[in-house]
Amino acid sequence: MPVPALRRLSLALGLLCFIPHGFAETWPAADWAMTPAAASPAIEALETYAFPTRDDDSRKGIRTDALLVIRDGQIIYERYAGPTKASTPHLAWSVSKSILATTLGVAYGKGLFKLDDPAAKFYPPMNAHPQVKIGHLLNWASGLGWQEGYEYAPVRSSVVAMLYTHGRSDMAAFAASFDQAATPGTRFLYSSGDANVLAAALRGMVGDEAYKDYPWTALFEPLGITSAVWETDASGTFVGSSYAYLTARDLARIGLLMQRDGRWADQQVLPKAWVDFNRTPFANYQPSKETEGDAVPGGQWWLNVAVPGAAKPWPDAPDDTFAALGHWGQALYVLPAQKLVVVRYADDRDKTYSHNELLKRVEAAFAPTAQTAAEAK
Amino acid sequence: MSSFIKRRPFSSVLLLIVLALAALAWQNRVHLAAFPGIIGALSAKEYCSCRYVMDNPAQYCLAYVKQYIPISGFFDDEANKRVTARGLGSTQTAAWQGPRQGCQLLPKADSLPQS
Repeated sequence: MPVPALRRLSLALGLLCFIPHGFAETWPAADWAMTPAAASPAIEALETYAFPTRDDDSRKGIRTDALLVIRDGQIIYERYAGPTKASTPHLAWSVSKSILATTLGVAYGKGLFKLDDPAAKFYPPMNAHPQVKIGHLLNWASGLGWQEGYEYAPVRSSVVAMLYTHGRSDMAAFAASFDQAATPGTRFLYSSGDANVLAAALRGMVGDEAYKDYPWTALFEPLGITSAVWETDASGTFVGSSYAYLTARDLARIGLLMQRDGRWADQQVLPKAWVDFNRTPFANYQPSKETEGDAVPGGQWWLNVAVPGAAKPWPDAPDDTFAALGHWGQALYVLPAQKLVVVRYADDRDKTYSHNELLKRVEAAFAPTAQTAAEAK
Repeated sequence: MSSFIKRRPFSSVLLLIVLALAALAWQNRVHLAAFPGIIGALSAKEYCSCRYVMDNPAQYCLAYVKQYIPISGFFDDEANKRVTARGLGSTQTAAWQGPRQGCQLLPKADSLPQS
C-alpha cells in the first residue's frame, strides 16, 4: 500500500474515534425505526400466550391490550388488541411510579436533591415524619402505616381512600397523615402513598411554576414523547402513584433510556448513578411468604435478582432484567444484555398472567442469540 | 349478670356479637363513612379517563368500569366532558381538565338529570 493511502486510512480511523458514542446506535426520532421480525414458531408461541381469545363479558384470563418489543432501538414486534391502538395513551397505573422516579432522576442530575435529604425539606407536611428521607420513599421504605390492599379489602384500603374518597383532594397530605409504623429505611412496604409524597416533594424541588410542566420539560420532550397525560389531584400534585398515560411506543422510549443507562443519543438525561440506584435492591428487603414470586424492590423499579432467602422471581428471564409494573398487568420490561425493551399494556382482571412466562417467550422469539440461531438453521 | 347469662344464653351471645360489631364499626368509622363514595367516584373517574384520555368507545368504557356493586345512576355530559355516577347512594362527578391534565374528581358532584 502506498504511504499516502496508508496515512489517509489511519487519519480516517483516527477520526472515527471522535464520532460520539451514540452515532452507531439507532434512536427513535419522531417515530421508531421499524424492522419487524419475520414470522416464526416462537412468535406464534408468544402470541398464543399473550393474545388468547378475549372475553370482554367475563373479563377472565390474559387480556393484553398492547405488546411492543424494541430490540436495539428498533421496533421488531407490535400488536394491539381490544380498543387499544398505537395512538392510545394507555393508563399505566403503577408504572407511573417508575416514570415519576425517572422524572426525579433528571432533577437529581441537576443537583436539586440528594437521596438522604429529608422529605420534609421539600414537602412541609412531612415534618410529622422528620426521619423519612427521599431515598426511603424511593425504596418503598418510609415506614408509614399504609394499607395497599386493593379490591379485596376496599373499606380499609389506603389506596382506594386516597384515589377515590377522603384522600383524593390532596393525596400527598393524606399519605403524610399516616402514623409512623416502623423506623424509616428498615422495612419494605409497597405504598402508593410514598409515591405521591415524592410527587409533592418534586414541587418543592423545582418550584411551583416549573412543576406543572416539569415531567414534560425534563423528560418527555427530550425523549420525543408526545402522547403523555399525567392527571393531578385537586391540589395540583401529579398522581405519581397511578395516573400517567402514554402510548406503548412512547413508554418504550423511557425503557430505551433506562436500557442505555440514562443516555438519550448524546445527552445524558439521567446520571448513570441514578439508574444504578434504581437497579439496586433495597438493602433491608426481607422476602416473605407473602412476597413469594414478587419482583425485588429497587429505587421505584422492580428487579429480577436473587436475594438472601429468595431465588430470582422470574427464573426464565436474565438476572439483569428490571421493570416498571402496574395494576391489571401493565409492564415495561428492560433486558439490557439482550438490548430488549418490552411494553405490555393490559386489562387483566385476575391473576392468570405471569411475567416469567411472557418474558420466556419474548426471549425465545427475539433475544439476539435466539434470532441468530433461527437464521443459521 | 351471671344469672342473666344462665337464663338467656342465646340472647347473651347475640348481645356480645352486636357489641363486638359496634366496636369494630366504631374503630373503622372513618373508612365506613367514606365507603359509599367509592363506587360513584371510581366509576365517574375511570370512565372519564377511559373515554376522554384514552379515547376509547363509550360502550367499552361502561363495561370497563363495571364493579360488583352496580351503579344506580350515570350521566356522561359529552359536550363538557363531565361524567357523573351514582352508587350506594352517593353521587360523584369527574371532569376532563385538559390535554395534559386528563380527568379529576370534583369536590361537588353535578346533579344527575331526571330520567
